[in-house]
Amino acid sequence: MSVYSKPITFALLSAVVILVGTFITLFIPMMLPSTQPVSDYIKPYTAIELEGRDIYIREGCNNCHTQTVRPLRTEVARYGEYSKPEEFAYDRPFLWGSRRTGPDLNRVGGKYPDSWHYKHMNDPRSMFAKSNMPAYGWLAKRKLDTKYSYRKVSILGYGYSESDVRNQIEEYRKKVTSADYPARAVRESVTPPELRSELTEMDAIIAYLQKLGRDVKALKKKEMRMVAEASPVTASKRNPFAGSKKAAEEGEKIFKKNCAVCHGEDAEGGIGPNLTDDKWRYGNSDSDLYTTISEGSPNGMPSWKGKLGNEAIWKVITFIRSQREQD
Amino acid sequence: MDWVDWAYLAFGGALVAVFACIVFYYYKPRRKRHVEEPKYRMLDDD
Amino acid sequence: MKENGYDYSVVRGFAFSAIFWLIVGLLVGLWLAAEMILPQLNLTPWLSFGRLRVVHTNGLAFGFALAGIFSCTYYILQRLTKVPLAFPRLARFHLWLFNIAIALAALSLFAGMNTSKEYAELEWPLDVGIVIMWVIFAINVFGTLIKRKEKQMYISLWYIIAMTVTIAVLYIVNNLEVPVNLFKSYSIYAGANDANVEWWYGHNAVGFVFTVPILAMFYYFLPKSTNLPIYSHRLSIIAFWSLVFGYLWTGAHHLMLTPLPEWIQTVAIAFSIFLIAPSWGSVVNGYYTMRGNWDQMRTNYLVKFFIFGITFYGLQTVQGPTQGLRTLTAFFHYTDYIPGHVHMGTMGWVTMIISASFYYMMPRITGKELYSIKLANLHFWLILVGQLLFTVTLWIAGIQQGAMWKATNPDGSLTYSFLEGVVALYPYWKIRLIGGLIYFVGIVVFTYNLIMTARGAGVKLAETRAQTA
Repeated sequence: MSVYSKPITFALLSAVVILVGTFITLFIPMMLPSTQPVSDYIKPYTAIELEGRDIYIREGCNNCHTQTVRPLRTEVARYGEYSKPEEFAYDRPFLWGSRRTGPDLNRVGGKYPDSWHYKHMNDPRSMFAKSNMPAYGWLAKRKLDTKYSYRKVSILGYGYSESDVRNQIEEYRKKVTSADYPARAVRESVTPPELRSELTEMDAIIAYLQKLGRDVKALKKKEMRMVAEASPVTASKRNPFAGSKKAAEEGEKIFKKNCAVCHGEDAEGGIGPNLTDDKWRYGNSDSDLYTTISEGSPNGMPSWKGKLGNEAIWKVITFIRSQREQD
Repeated sequence: MDWVDWAYLAFGGALVAVFACIVFYYYKPRRKRHVEEPKYRMLDDD
Repeated sequence: MKENGYDYSVVRGFAFSAIFWLIVGLLVGLWLAAEMILPQLNLTPWLSFGRLRVVHTNGLAFGFALAGIFSCTYYILQRLTKVPLAFPRLARFHLWLFNIAIALAALSLFAGMNTSKEYAELEWPLDVGIVIMWVIFAINVFGTLIKRKEKQMYISLWYIIAMTVTIAVLYIVNNLEVPVNLFKSYSIYAGANDANVEWWYGHNAVGFVFTVPILAMFYYFLPKSTNLPIYSHRLSIIAFWSLVFGYLWTGAHHLMLTPLPEWIQTVAIAFSIFLIAPSWGSVVNGYYTMRGNWDQMRTNYLVKFFIFGITFYGLQTVQGPTQGLRTLTAFFHYTDYIPGHVHMGTMGWVTMIISASFYYMMPRITGKELYSIKLANLHFWLILVGQLLFTVTLWIAGIQQGAMWKATNPDGSLTYSFLEGVVALYPYWKIRLIGGLIYFVGIVVFTYNLIMTARGAGVKLAETRAQTA
């Protein structure tokens, strides 16, 4: 008797056969934390942003807009930094989408001011005559329902207390209704008078759009600030940690992690020159050393200002100096 | 090749082997009549 | 009409439910196609594109295709087991529950109750209803199989079993969610895992709704309507197991170049390429069945539907894996090339096979002659031309859009703004709407033909024909 004569056996066998691929490509990745990493730089949505996200879902925005920038040159040029897995740790459900009838939105946060969004959501063709996006002016005519906000953030485990949620809602209401809100004029032009002092669905969806990619952009800004601070032009020319033992120890750790590959574990040299002798190619002063580390050199030394930043560079210098003193 | 590559290769090889066994089993000439029987029976008047 | 005690009332009920939801789904589709070029048609919140697109996909995938599948399954099941349905009253309950669920689904989606996961947008109370409905269906499938009189199960029954088991697993795993209230819930998975689960589901919904049960129909109705045995039963054994094994690995080809771990993407694309083999196993099996009898393409109106249907299936199963390859996905993904691909599968393969199956079944379950073969031929040519105009236009549109997104100036800056890429597609979208309209007329002809057949209008024709013969 073959399996083709036994329907129940056949059903069980089919179940096993379909579960092999399911187990390997679905359940195993689910058990690996690396599939969906969590980063301190990426913050969960506020209650308002989450309400906006739920409106985005309700209106099916994901049917025309993706939220994942692929690591392709033209895509990065069009939208910005490509999407990283840690950005989606708080996304339940995910909203990557499958069709770009409209542009990707993963980096739209901060790209335009709020006023742009009020105007655009209200009537896309007032800004782009040939756009085919539906007008969403009616969102400004509906008061935002925050009855379930606390319940929602608790289910999602964002870690806010009930009063946190109340504050977030109240603060955002204050922000958009205050006299000096930069988008005040256009907000009032799309919001009916009786709702101008309340939160509308339009306010929430704009709060959500402004959140998209904001943390990644903030991280990028922080990196750029580090670069600016660690440029020899702007950095102080004097080592703030000169002679500090603690700084030298910290510098040693940084050195071992970043520099030892080329300069040797104890700075005795390798691919890169020995740093414990008296020969210096690019000058011996603290400020010369600083410039070499921060900017790199033509002979292969990379620039470290973006990776280490101002403080760490001085600590490494402190460590190098301490090595020489020991000899 | 590290162990991950070997694992991929072994897994792929195992799949090919299972596949080959199924093909050889059902394509044995002496089994042909039995295996092909339902395609005629389904045409009978029901 | 009952011979051998077979229960045909549910077969007929599901067939006409399928037709009803087909008309509804296509009207929504036409409205959407018009919205693409005339955004003023987003008249109300519930008519806005984002909500309507979901009604279109769910209405056709589940309202039309699933009803068609239930109809044909209940027919094939009784015929191949040579026993009546195990639980005919349960099957009638299934019919009612199904239509209520689809109606509520449409209403809830119009109202914006939507989980956003593609082809699984229904909120949790409806998910529960659908699981119950599926269990009821499965009880009848296995109940009937167990008391069957035919020892060996024919190919179609394997595909029906595989669908019954797999859809249950897919639907439950992908729809696990935590309710906020009756109308809102959140997925239990986050980010990349949610994406991975969703496209494992999404792709296998294509596999086990648009492929597996349609193959069950193909393997049953092609031999039946030509009176030719299928070319090779053993080839279909190899193809069956390879297909159901391979399908479940491939979901991540929908997520190429996203933040999903790269190895999952690579494995998915490897298995996608592999799947060409079992898919073409069925294509070859269909073609070889017709060996020496190709004249039936002219003389037997049903054969056209089956052979063109399986040809579109063959094209789809090559186009799909290739557009998933990394280099090509970088170009094609997110463009109109993909809707072009999907619609050849649904408007070509799925609808053609279901149409022909209905034409075959209707006279047999009503005991009345088919109303008009001429109209069936007209139906065939209209849906063929409409579909090709629709799909080929979208492929070309996709290529143009992909090229515009990628175009750069000599200095490396982008040549076209996003909006320029949209504006360039308006002419294609107009042609697509025309293709859709032609297709819709074909479906209206189909509906008319089936209704007239069921009402007995064909009997007279047969009588006059018999008299003149």
